[in-house]
Amino acid sequence: MRKLIFIIYIILPFISNAQNLQGVVFGNEEDGKTTLPGVNIYWQGTNRGVVSTDEGTFEIKKGNNQHMLVFSFVGYETKVVHVDNLDKLEVVLEPNLEIEEVTVVKKDRGTYLSAMETIHTERIGSAELHKAACCNLAESFETNPSVDISYSDAVTGAKQIRLLGLDGIYSQLQIENLPDLRGLATTFGLTYIPGPWMESIQVSKGASSVVGGYESIAGQINAEIKKPDSGEKLFLNAYANHHGRLEFNANTSLKVYKDMLSTGILVHASGLGIRNDDNGDGFLDDPLSKQLQISNRWKFTNYKGFMIQAGINILTEDRLGGQVGFEEGMAQSVSNPYGISIKNNRVTGFMKSGIVSQDQRTALAILTNFTGHKTNSFYGLTNYDASETRFYGSLILTRDLDKNAVHTLNAGVSFIHDNFSESLYNINLDRVENVPGVFAEYTLKPVENMTLMAGIRADSHNMFGTFVTPRMHFRYKINDHLTLRANAGKGYRTANIVTENNYLLAGYRKLQWHDKNMQEEAWNYGVSLVQDYILWGRELQINTEFFKTDFHSQLVVDRESSAEFVILSPLSGKSYANSLQLDVRYQPIERFDVLLAYRLSDTKHTIGGELKELPLNSRYKGLLNLNYSTNLKKWMFNYTIQFNGGGRIPRHYEEGQNLTDISGSFYAFQPYTVMNAQVTRYFRYWNVYLGSENITNFKQPNPIEGAYNPFNHGFDASNIWGPVVGRKVYLGVRFLLNYN
Amino acid sequence: MKNLAVFIVLIFGLTFIATAQKVENKVVCFKSDMDCANCEKTLTEHLKFEKGVKDLKVDHVSNTILIGYKDGKNTDDGFVKAIEKKGYKAEKISKADYDKVLKETAEKSNVHEAEIHKVRK
Repeated sequence: MRKLIFIIYIILPFISNAQNLQGVVFGNEEDGKTTLPGVNIYWQGTNRGVVSTDEGTFEIKKGNNQHMLVFSFVGYETKVVHVDNLDKLEVVLEPNLEIEEVTVVKKDRGTYLSAMETIHTERIGSAELHKAACCNLAESFETNPSVDISYSDAVTGAKQIRLLGLDGIYSQLQIENLPDLRGLATTFGLTYIPGPWMESIQVSKGASSVVGGYESIAGQINAEIKKPDSGEKLFLNAYANHHGRLEFNANTSLKVYKDMLSTGILVHASGLGIRNDDNGDGFLDDPLSKQLQISNRWKFTNYKGFMIQAGINILTEDRLGGQVGFEEGMAQSVSNPYGISIKNNRVTGFMKSGIVSQDQRTALAILTNFTGHKTNSFYGLTNYDASETRFYGSLILTRDLDKNAVHTLNAGVSFIHDNFSESLYNINLDRVENVPGVFAEYTLKPVENMTLMAGIRADSHNMFGTFVTPRMHFRYKINDHLTLRANAGKGYRTANIVTENNYLLAGYRKLQWHDKNMQEEAWNYGVSLVQDYILWGRELQINTEFFKTDFHSQLVVDRESSAEFVILSPLSGKSYANSLQLDVRYQPIERFDVLLAYRLSDTKHTIGGELKELPLNSRYKGLLNLNYSTNLKKWMFNYTIQFNGGGRIPRHYEEGQNLTDISGSFYAFQPYTVMNAQVTRYFRYWNVYLGSENITNFKQPNPIEGAYNPFNHGFDASNIWGPVVGRKVYLGVRFLLNYN
Repeated sequence: MKNLAVFIVLIFGLTFIATAQKVENKVVCFKSDMDCANCEKTLTEHLKFEKGVKDLKVDHVSNTILIGYKDGKNTDDGFVKAIEKKGYKAEKISKADYDKVLKETAEKSNVHEAEIHKVRK
């Protein structure tokens, strides 16, 4: 037996067709290249490697399927080189200036604020996405201090976010740095990105870089989808909650050609088939729903500076809500129960490509996406149908103006085509936007501690003329403990009068608008200070930030001046949003993370000639998030409590209304608390999570006004400030199989 | 508010149980032949789900592995097999030797880092 093993051992190298690859490793020092001894060299994903000799040379066996050679050495940037022949290799490693950044094993920290980035950005990693059910993008912010998430109304199940105290429409949503989830997808788009598809989310506050466009007034939220070459072979996820909601997700990826071409398929199916009316108002708490999504994406890279990614996504969604007795196919009539039906069909495609020059100093990128979206809906007797075709394209050139990247220039052109066709109350609202634009952004990084970024863009809009968007960002790392950031910038967006406000159709009052088309314009200023300390051997992070948004023109939704109409009119007077936030992150005992955050919002706008608080918006928010994982991370416990401040309810006072009705809670809502908790158990290939949302079962009392008379005066399902749905208990399982 | 108090007590209770149970019945140490951080990760993820594992330290710099496990649930040889299954060497060493190797590595890397700093300056 032993002899046989010996023989196999001898001939194995020949039959496995391994050949030797030779090369030299250098370090790029100030006085030129020097050979580097002791560098770890290994094939990516394998455990076998070699160490370079005193002269920097190495020799390593190369198998047929091995292409990615990794070079790693303390004090230098790790480099991965693609090899497809046996030519002698010369590799130059760049020194890593920040020694402390060389972490051997990357620790997944959930959410963190980077000290390196110019724009104040919160990064939400996969660890954070495991802390809650995170069925979709909307639900991923439950443990986040900066982004608020709430129901838009009590009947459609639509969720909206708020950043810096401003509605989600003022934040630019992106998928992989391409503007998305806008236009017709504004209302439901946040539920269009399934949680298990996402790799990470970045939330940046304040007007962001001009490269991304003239939108993003309050900030930018970018979701990164799992890449086909990430090594995930198969991922399965199933979720169920006790209200009857079921979700299923499956992702798979495949290497098609060597390590260069890979493809991924992502599938999502979810639905709610059970009619729930826990508050007994005769209306479904959540509409019955079905959503199907399939996505296919491709990635090609030649490892010599060229990369292209493309993909397509098809979505179909059906919502049926309203009174419990309403069935699919029933006529829209006052003699039948009040029904709501919303059908969405959407196709999106994207293509991104980039090429980097030999000397790594120049890069050219093309970013494009396309969306076709159709909505057919009715709310009681009101029909709303719409379709949108959108194309976005951008060409960006990045160039380091000198060898040490002290001066960098980003410049390019972009084009937006947006074709809307909407019909409401038998009125057609059609519009075509064509917006070519040019932009340039200059980054100055005189020292490692400081970055100054100044950008400007000019866009020529076929409806609103030419406008200029200046933006500026500044970062200064004062010392090891303090990082200061400041930004100022302008933003514009086209208000989609009906699309953005279609949840208001769930009421008796009709929408009334002054202008069919209008552009919103605002300035945003912000300053933030991130403090990092080591306290009793553990990292303590304190973040303080203040942001101010000042509107010059805005579409104001007036729900309080008229008994017959919800008035959508241009702002006349002041409108601003101030947001002051403090958050502290610390680990008091090992593996026990605490996040404590508090935010004060002061958002006011002029309605009917009077400066009033933005309605249905909490004046403050407190958040405590506790996360504990056991040794070896086999168990993870997460607990979140949100303290939401009170606010204003927009109501129209009517003649003859009883004065006792309007005392206290008529115009205001009180602070309330929401609690979530989840336990996750990890196994080698799978993990199970059990959790509960809204543990205390807090529900907004009477979310639907006039619920018993939905076709009549007084019916309104859109005055929502708190949870519509009570306690939810859910169970989910994830299965993950990686390559190698 | 009462609910919150109950929950916090529960969380801390669980934490306490989790820490209190960390009594290692048996400890076994190995010298291995990992080359990189990747190997360290692979082995950690593989070994932590082996039967009986309560404590685990895998380090590619010193090339050592320490496993604390519940006696009777697994054996030293069981871990040798598990490590070898992933393609690594598993040479059993005593706890004293393990500590020694770790100490030596720590000293060496300090010197190494100091040298890098010197080179930079």
